[in-house]
Amino acid sequence: MLKMTDISKNFDAVKALSHASLSVKPGEIMALLGSNGSGKSTMVKILSGLVNPSGGTIEIEGKAVQIRSGADARRLGVAMAYQDLSLVPAMSVVDNITLGMEPTGRFGRIDKKAAREKAEKYLRLLKVDVDPATLVQYLMPSTQSMVEIAKAMATEPKLLILDEATASLHSDEVDALFEVLKVLKEKGTSVIIVTHRMGEIFRICDRCTILKGGETVACGEIKDMELDDIVFHMTGKRPDHSVTEEAAQDHLYKEEDLLLDVKGICIPGKLDQVDFKTYRGEIVGIGGLDGQGQAEFIRAVLADGKYTEGLIRFKGREVHYRSTADAVADNMGFISGDRARESIFPIRSVAENLFAAKATKGGLFAPLSARTIQEFANKAIKDYGIVAGSTSHPASSLSGGNQQKLVVGRWIALSPDLLLLDDPTKGVDIHSRHEIHEILRQCVKNGMSIIYVSSDNEELLEISDRVYVFYEGKISGQLAGEDRTEEKLVAAMMGLTGSAEKGAKE
Amino acid sequence: MREAFKRIKKSPAYSGLILFLAALALYFALQLIQDPESFFTFKTYRSFAGLFKNYAPLILVTMGQALLMLMGIIDISIGVQLSFANVLAVMLPEWTGMPIAAAWALTLCASVLLNTINGLVVSYLRIPPLLAGYAMIYIVKGINLAIRSAPGGKVPAEINLFYDKMWGGVLPTSVIIITLCYLGWAFLVRTPLMKHVYAIGGNERNAFATGIDSARTKVKMYALAGLLTGIGGLCYTAAYSTGNPITGEIYGLQSISACILGGISLAGGWGTMSCALFGIGFQVLIQTAVPRIFSMLPGNYNTYWHNLASDAIILIGLIGTIFAVKAQRTTLVTGLKKQVKGGGAKDER
Ligand SMILES: Nc1ncnc2c1ncn2[C@@H]1O[C@H](COP(=O)(O)OP(=O)(O)OP(=O)(O)O)[C@@H](O)[C@H]1O
Ligand SMILES: [Mg+2]
Repeated sequence: MLKMTDISKNFDAVKALSHASLSVKPGEIMALLGSNGSGKSTMVKILSGLVNPSGGTIEIEGKAVQIRSGADARRLGVAMAYQDLSLVPAMSVVDNITLGMEPTGRFGRIDKKAAREKAEKYLRLLKVDVDPATLVQYLMPSTQSMVEIAKAMATEPKLLILDEATASLHSDEVDALFEVLKVLKEKGTSVIIVTHRMGEIFRICDRCTILKGGETVACGEIKDMELDDIVFHMTGKRPDHSVTEEAAQDHLYKEEDLLLDVKGICIPGKLDQVDFKTYRGEIVGIGGLDGQGQAEFIRAVLADGKYTEGLIRFKGREVHYRSTADAVADNMGFISGDRARESIFPIRSVAENLFAAKATKGGLFAPLSARTIQEFANKAIKDYGIVAGSTSHPASSLSGGNQQKLVVGRWIALSPDLLLLDDPTKGVDIHSRHEIHEILRQCVKNGMSIIYVSSDNEELLEISDRVYVFYEGKISGQLAGEDRTEEKLVAAMMGLTGSAEKGAKE
Repeated sequence: MREAFKRIKKSPAYSGLILFLAALALYFALQLIQDPESFFTFKTYRSFAGLFKNYAPLILVTMGQALLMLMGIIDISIGVQLSFANVLAVMLPEWTGMPIAAAWALTLCASVLLNTINGLVVSYLRIPPLLAGYAMIYIVKGINLAIRSAPGGKVPAEINLFYDKMWGGVLPTSVIIITLCYLGWAFLVRTPLMKHVYAIGGNERNAFATGIDSARTKVKMYALAGLLTGIGGLCYTAAYSTGNPITGEIYGLQSISACILGGISLAGGWGTMSCALFGIGFQVLIQTAVPRIFSMLPGNYNTYWHNLASDAIILIGLIGTIFAVKAQRTTLVTGLKKQVKGGGAKDER
């Protein structure tokens, strides 16, 4: 049915795919697996015409084809439900489902009745309870996902691609979807499923193809494979199932050293009863696949997002910050990995950037001499080894790694009690990364506590004393001391632990 | 009744409708104050109908602008394009001696062609609409001045008579033309083409992913906007019996503010033709009402004062719309970005 060989794709310097391959037989459900950034979405977007491959060939039903646009894909019978959806929010459900293939009646006018019937047919099939006339923007995320799937199915494709379509679905919705997929499969439709939920693969898929770093590393029948094999191919590590949600070492910490104590925090659809502790003088890592609730958790702690349930105690007091400024006033600091958007003031000078956090302390109209800023900056530059031409150059003149050091330096100079870092070394070279780690370790020695979110497993284990792993809005594992192995981390990331595993396998 | 009201309240045209009704009330109130004896006579209606005669070109251009804005495109050159149709319609018969009907049909074609070229530049060469529009202003103005370097020219008197005629004693020709164009929209909005336009305005990448040829759709809409601009240019010629190479320029910005006032989202994908009509109605009524208010005040004020006041009111209306209508508020920034950077169907490539 489909054969993709030797597919390569570069986004400027980033190699998203190199010589990857994928083939699907008629009436087969293929799982396309890989960790974050392994190129799965890129691979399927090539099929849907949204990404142009830099090299390689695609054959559909034995004929070599070029897919240059969404229209080409539709013509070839390929339909895709996108990870980030392809719906138009300000249009109704019917209009979205029938978009691009509106049934027309006399004089080329849209046959509204036929369109509605068509939409309702697929909504009913997927058991989606929604008025087809509602605007998509008013639907819940899970319903939007279902509409996205209905839209793809409505084109009656020969090849249906679901890119993490189940990620935001509830379990009954997943059940309904899988029922429909089984019927489609009977009819000879091929399906490609991209997912991080291991349980689903064993439930529905026939074969799997595994990508790692943009290359196809394995391909085979699901029934011949063990879960551990799959995870091994994806990550290069064999998962160790002995992880638990409670760290064994908990008793090593003294109760009076407890700095941050989060109990049962909930954000509907994002976080579910998360307990989290940070003690004085430790680095706590947060790991997991992308978007499992890590960012929401950090933001909830910083009062940059509302939580519906739960309790946060900081320095022994229950806190209810009204804004991030309150949290900063209470000696918390935050460093985002998204330098450009959230931390750097690109056209201000290096010195001013360093001083930015400090400027929030002290009176709003208190006099501030250029000299104070300058001295402060010089000291910081020396302390943190920031390589800058001059303190008066704009911050945008620094390299990415140095910009990040600048931000780290900015906060450390305040010596907050607790510093939260959200993937701070994203796109930072290995050398600068080590330097940042060094600075952080130094700070911890001086009594600061650090919460460190990272998408890089090695880095996470290297820097943290203890690691919490998030999976689908819950803590799926906690690693401390001897437990901090990549094998265990990987198992927890995939939800292969105690309670989470039961959920995944059901 | 209640249901109907709820529907209106939810429709994109709601804020525009409120503004329009307010301006309408102001207009008639002034009429009543200034001319109380004859208020309940035909004279009041005639002067109101006169507005359509004068402003039909602007109304039609605004309708054209609305078609583009629904896709998230604004064309500031649409005003000089109206002048292009105007001078061409005046000069073609003079140069070639061809019958007026043929010359005007040709003018319409030229206007469509000109706008189509603009559309090709925007969608295939991917020049941001604002930049393309800016360049177009200079190019078209140059062409206009080459066609007719100064205002003037002859237009047969019958045409003006035909245009000013009140059909059945009540319907001016201009109203009939506008109504026909609106009916064209009413048909269009029920076709797949218009759905594609809304999809492109709403999210161009997703429209592209769904298999819509966004470039072609854009060019089609530019051509339609060109048609409306052309008709507007002909109305201008008929109403003022003269060719003027540059007066239309101001219509470009006026049509944009009218669309936004009426509730069309600057980023595209939200709004209807009623929005455009309410918006331009508000603007026209305010522009008419303000000089009348000044005439009642002691002292002398020249037209600069009139413009200052009416533009200030329109600006307040714009700000009000942007803050009151959620759709506008959230899309203003994305809309501005889109105008400057150009659409992004294929930025993933
Ligand atoms: N439009 C783009 N521009 C630049 N880089 C991109 C773009 N799209 C993807 N990439 C890069 O290509 C790589 C592969 O991305 P891709 O989205 O295919 O990963 P994925 O396997 O789908 O991951 P996930 O599980 O997180 O969805 C990543 O490193 C990503 O940063
Ligand atoms: Mg992906």
